[in-house]
Amino acid sequence: MRFLGGLGATLALAALPLAGVNTYQLHVASLIAVYWILIAGLNLVVGYSGQISIGHVGLLAIGAYVFAALAGTHDVNSWLALIASGLAGGLCGLLLGLPSLRLPGFYFAMATLAFSLIVGELALGLGDLTGGGVGLAVPGFPPPFASPAGFYELSLALAALTTWLTWNVARQLWGRALLAVRDSPVAAAGAAISVYRMKLTVFVFSGVTAGVAGGLFASLQSYITPDTFAFDIGMFFFVCIIIGGRGGVVGPLLGTVVLTLLPEVVAPLARLGNFFYGLLLLAVVLLMPEGIGPLLAAIAARLTRRGRPESRVVSPDLDRLRAALADEPR
Amino acid sequence: MWPVIVSGLAVGASYATTALAYNLMFSTSKVLSVTTGQIVMLGAVAGAWLMNSLGWPALLALPGAILVGAAFGALTEWVAVRRVLKRSDEHLWILSTLALATMTQQAVALVWGTEPRPFPRLLPQSFEAGIADQKFWLPIGVMIAAVAALEGFYRRTMWGKLFQATSEDPFAAEARGVDTGRVRMLSYVLAGALGGLSGFAAGELTFAYFALGLSMTLNGFIAIAVGGLGSSVGAVAGGLALGLLGAFATYLFGGAFQQTIAVGALMVVLLIRPEGLFGARGMRAV
Repeated sequence: MRFLGGLGATLALAALPLAGVNTYQLHVASLIAVYWILIAGLNLVVGYSGQISIGHVGLLAIGAYVFAALAGTHDVNSWLALIASGLAGGLCGLLLGLPSLRLPGFYFAMATLAFSLIVGELALGLGDLTGGGVGLAVPGFPPPFASPAGFYELSLALAALTTWLTWNVARQLWGRALLAVRDSPVAAAGAAISVYRMKLTVFVFSGVTAGVAGGLFASLQSYITPDTFAFDIGMFFFVCIIIGGRGGVVGPLLGTVVLTLLPEVVAPLARLGNFFYGLLLLAVVLLMPEGIGPLLAAIAARLTRRGRPESRVVSPDLDRLRAALADEPR
Repeated sequence: MWPVIVSGLAVGASYATTALAYNLMFSTSKVLSVTTGQIVMLGAVAGAWLMNSLGWPALLALPGAILVGAAFGALTEWVAVRRVLKRSDEHLWILSTLALATMTQQAVALVWGTEPRPFPRLLPQSFEAGIADQKFWLPIGVMIAAVAALEGFYRRTMWGKLFQATSEDPFAAEARGVDTGRVRMLSYVLAGALGGLSGFAAGELTFAYFALGLSMTLNGFIAIAVGGLGSSVGAVAGGLALGLLGAFATYLFGGAFQQTIAVGALMVVLLIRPEGLFGARGMRAV
């Protein structure tokens, strides 16, 4: 049922270019789809297994640079380059996850932060490969995906595929195991869940999605420099998930859509940038640490049930209680 | 060779004082605050603003910077730590302190600008002093003074004992009549003052720069992770080692890969000795 609903929504979104949407709006829509590919993978890491990764922008950058270097500099086929981006993201996720996923929460967060800074440093330092501070021009995809509308359809299709994959992971035994790892690693290990391997698998998967998103992102931006991958974006990905609520797929999706659109619609917010994301994060953590996901679920339950749930007064049966006490041997 | 060593030690000393501030806050609350580096940055920016824009003398700007740091420490405790510790979720404090740190950094970037601004000379000295320059010796002196003062505080004063009691076992401390909430607030104010002082003293070396906070948060953390959480000796050893490593890496390979080498060293230490060089071994999980 939900699968059909998702399919219907995807098809409706795919008809967007037919509805007379202009190029700029298509660009923003593609950007949302590309961001969501990364965030859907990251959601399994942050929302489900509870590992706080604030450095996924590093993996995004790796995917973007691999795509730019292969498809741009070396004239490799764009599709092969996109696959290579995903593989590179997964490999770097593995290399980052192997040592750092053994560490406790704050240490892991700092390791991912350091990773994103390192990637930025290398992007500047390895000028032969990345063009240094000058940057690299990035080609698009071959027709029919060359036009903005074509690119939008491509990213939408990949986003839908990623959503389907993560949705499957989340609602099967795997998702339960991840939630157990998040809520109590000790209890999870006691229930025969291999905590470390679990974390590592989803982290590598999130690396692959981040790499693919990076390739698409580079192609969408058509020119990348190390400044494109500032720490701000890493923060943005993270905030999308926390606001949407940990342990769900719909909440973070809504978070991504709203948070990408907001700065485009309300111009002053774009200037505030990270301040705004920080404020949102603080408000969510202090006021509703569960995010908007459960809130939406409650509203949906209200709407479908039409009216308040039946309330029942529970009162003690005093006569029975007295009788029971009288029977008690003194 | 000497200039490399001295500048490495000076940078390392500012990492070490940041690590001491981390330790102070961690001891009473078991929270590693992401805002720690931002306190140092605020100390440097406040000092530069008071002296350059308002024309205060250094002797007045110093307490000003310390006050700003202490106030921000108190704000961290009040906004990002106190409310979150009431809940049992382990990771929420990472999010709340990260949020506050991000807001602070962006606010400074918007108000103060994103260019590093020069920090005025604190003591009259020729610019040709070489390795005897104050910009190297001020951070090192502050680090030595801070370690001595903290050790004295912990060993000789009543409040120091209260800190230690709260750190060892907050419930037992509370049962003996210690107001652990007050102790925690005081530790954040102290850490803020220390961070502000450190930022002020290292200002001539680091300049007043909004992105200093993030790099101090990371490098101060590497110093405690290498040295061992909760140990003053470890913080100093880790900070100085990190500073020297960075200085020599820059001397040998150029400045482009400093961060990469520092984090590589951290990973090696954590893989071999997860509790750090001077840290106590962790408890069992169950």
